[in-house]
Amino acid sequence: MSVSGETIMRHLTKIAFGMLMAGLSLGASAQAADIVVGFATASSGFMQAYDKPAQDAALIRIDEINKAGGLLGRQIKVVTADTKTDRAEGAKAGLEVIDKGADLVIVSCDYDFGSPAALAAEAAGKISMFLCAESVKAGIQGVGPHSFSASILAAVQGATMVDWSYNKKNARTYYRLLDTWTEYNKGVCDGFDWQLPKMKDAKLVGSDTFKNEDTSIAAQITRIKSLPKPPDAIMLCSMMPGVVSAIKQIRAAGITSMILNGSSVDGSYWLSATPDLSDFYVPVQGSIYGDDPNKDVTVFNAKYKAATGGDPSSQYVYPGYVLIDVWAKAVARAGTTDADAVTAKLEAMKDEPTLFGPRTFTSELHHQNKGKYLIVDVNKGKPSVVGDWTIAEPIPLSYLLKQ
Amino acid sequence: MTEIIQIIIDALSLGSLYALGALGIALIFGVMRLVNFAHGDTIAFCVFALLWPSIDAAAVVFAGHLPTVLLIPLILLIGAGLSVLSEIIVFRRFRKANPATMMIASFALGFVIRYFLLMLYSSRPKSINLWESLGESIGFLGARVPLLQIVTVAITLGILGLLTLFLKRSRYGLEMRAAAENFTMARMLGVRANRVIMLAFALSGMLAATTGLILVTQTGTVDIQMGASVMLIAFIATVIGGLGSLTGAVTAGYLIGAASVLMQVVLPLDARPFRDAFVYGAVIVTLIWRPNGLFVARSAKQRV
Repeated sequence: MSVSGETIMRHLTKIAFGMLMAGLSLGASAQAADIVVGFATASSGFMQAYDKPAQDAALIRIDEINKAGGLLGRQIKVVTADTKTDRAEGAKAGLEVIDKGADLVIVSCDYDFGSPAALAAEAAGKISMFLCAESVKAGIQGVGPHSFSASILAAVQGATMVDWSYNKKNARTYYRLLDTWTEYNKGVCDGFDWQLPKMKDAKLVGSDTFKNEDTSIAAQITRIKSLPKPPDAIMLCSMMPGVVSAIKQIRAAGITSMILNGSSVDGSYWLSATPDLSDFYVPVQGSIYGDDPNKDVTVFNAKYKAATGGDPSSQYVYPGYVLIDVWAKAVARAGTTDADAVTAKLEAMKDEPTLFGPRTFTSELHHQNKGKYLIVDVNKGKPSVVGDWTIAEPIPLSYLLKQ
Repeated sequence: MTEIIQIIIDALSLGSLYALGALGIALIFGVMRLVNFAHGDTIAFCVFALLWPSIDAAAVVFAGHLPTVLLIPLILLIGAGLSVLSEIIVFRRFRKANPATMMIASFALGFVIRYFLLMLYSSRPKSINLWESLGESIGFLGARVPLLQIVTVAITLGILGLLTLFLKRSRYGLEMRAAAENFTMARMLGVRANRVIMLAFALSGMLAATTGLILVTQTGTVDIQMGASVMLIAFIATVIGGLGSLTGAVTAGYLIGAASVLMQVVLPLDARPFRDAFVYGAVIVTLIWRPNGLFVARSAKQRV
């Protein structure tokens, strides 16, 4: 009796379990009608200021796709989780959006803050994309075979600025001033170091470092001023907030050489610190100043303003848009959201046109080691596009990994 | 020769900034044995007071537009006010607690101030151009130096002079010095503890405001973390100077500034990213040589 009682209990448990599973799979199949994009990004803490603009741009592209009939005939649904600008919370946020059914996991802009969520996505066999990371690690090398970044490598920015200033501004003598704070800064200077020896007669007349938090770079400036002749160009590899202080101090000391930097200084929000700044150049993927040669970029800027209430504050809005754009194209070509199939289609992209320049992914590099940049010139405190430039040859992966 | 003058001025101006920060910490440590780690955030708060609260990327300048004669007293008042308020609301309740507890409380207060700023202004660093004319360079003994560097050194020396006069010649100064030497004895002799401590906080707050104004004029940047690096070096300066000694704090501030500039000048390029390691290495050597700091305060000697 007791045995048969146990058997009945076992059967009942099985039935109950079966019903539970059926219920779950029913729920899942009901959700499967939508394609789910998960944002494991910072909605609080200091990364929020960097993640939100690019995320808003991604949402605009999602909205456009949905309005045009969706992807594979399905609508794209957005789920979010807050990383709170904390690396441990980042891993949890990654898992949370995967639990909510994310087919694509979008992670924080910065490699260090985005990688925990990206690694969670990789472990779950999902595609992850960094909002705007520019380190070679944000991809296969630092996360895994299903991880991508939609921006362009920092090294390309440094190389572009040398190539452009040599050819268009006749710069021959360069001074290299590296802010040792982040990988990004080093990346920009690595690109500079790679490109400079290729330029005939171009010479590095001096090199120095500072720290982003240095309140004064007076000693570094004294070294520049001690040169027998001022350099034609100063390659500044730095980022907010220290870069503003560095530029202000360089100009206050009466050094008028042109200053080149990576994209991190794009935007007019900081120019109030140096009202009459001139001869300052940065590379950008698109212009936020309303003068992009591609009229569609200006149309996008208006859309962004309508959606968020403000103009894009820097070019770092744009990679968010590109990211959804290339992923959606790959999904459409693969006919599925399966990570391996979509990765294969992404890796098949060669100079894929996007609103903000062409994108190429290979089975070795899920990032751009060459790219078209617009050059923004700040003249008397007013930034505007003065041309565009693409470096002749891509920066080899072996060089990037060696640095 | 001009290069050497330039380097000396670089060292003096950086040292002045550190000396001002160190003085703000040493003043409070003197009267109540509190290492106030919220000092850095008080610096940031004073600078943010120039702006109108907004989370936009571009700064909305508000108080920063005031004429200098109004702006400086206002910011000094804000610094003093916040500092006195932290004493009344927080530190007064820890008067009997041991110094480590007070230090933790000051850390906590610093976080509260920083996150308050984060809430009102967001984490994005903002830019402001304060006193543009100070950014021009002038000829000085054959070298071209930014006016701000000279002004920074002059202001610091001026403040040091005034503070010395105040401490040595005025009744309040006398009370503060007495309290710094032996707090219990001073109270027994009729020094009112709360008044002296509040005065120390007010002075320290004004020093924070001064540091903040110099910082923002130099860097053009307003950032919630902006006080942190100055605070760290200022704290180290008070330790090397000898905790409790105002002269020591100021001297050490100048020494660290000079060491930092000198290292940047003499180190080879490959070693320059590790400049601070050399500076702090020198700090360690100094402390091994004189564990109580360069100038041992008389009050510290009694404590075995």
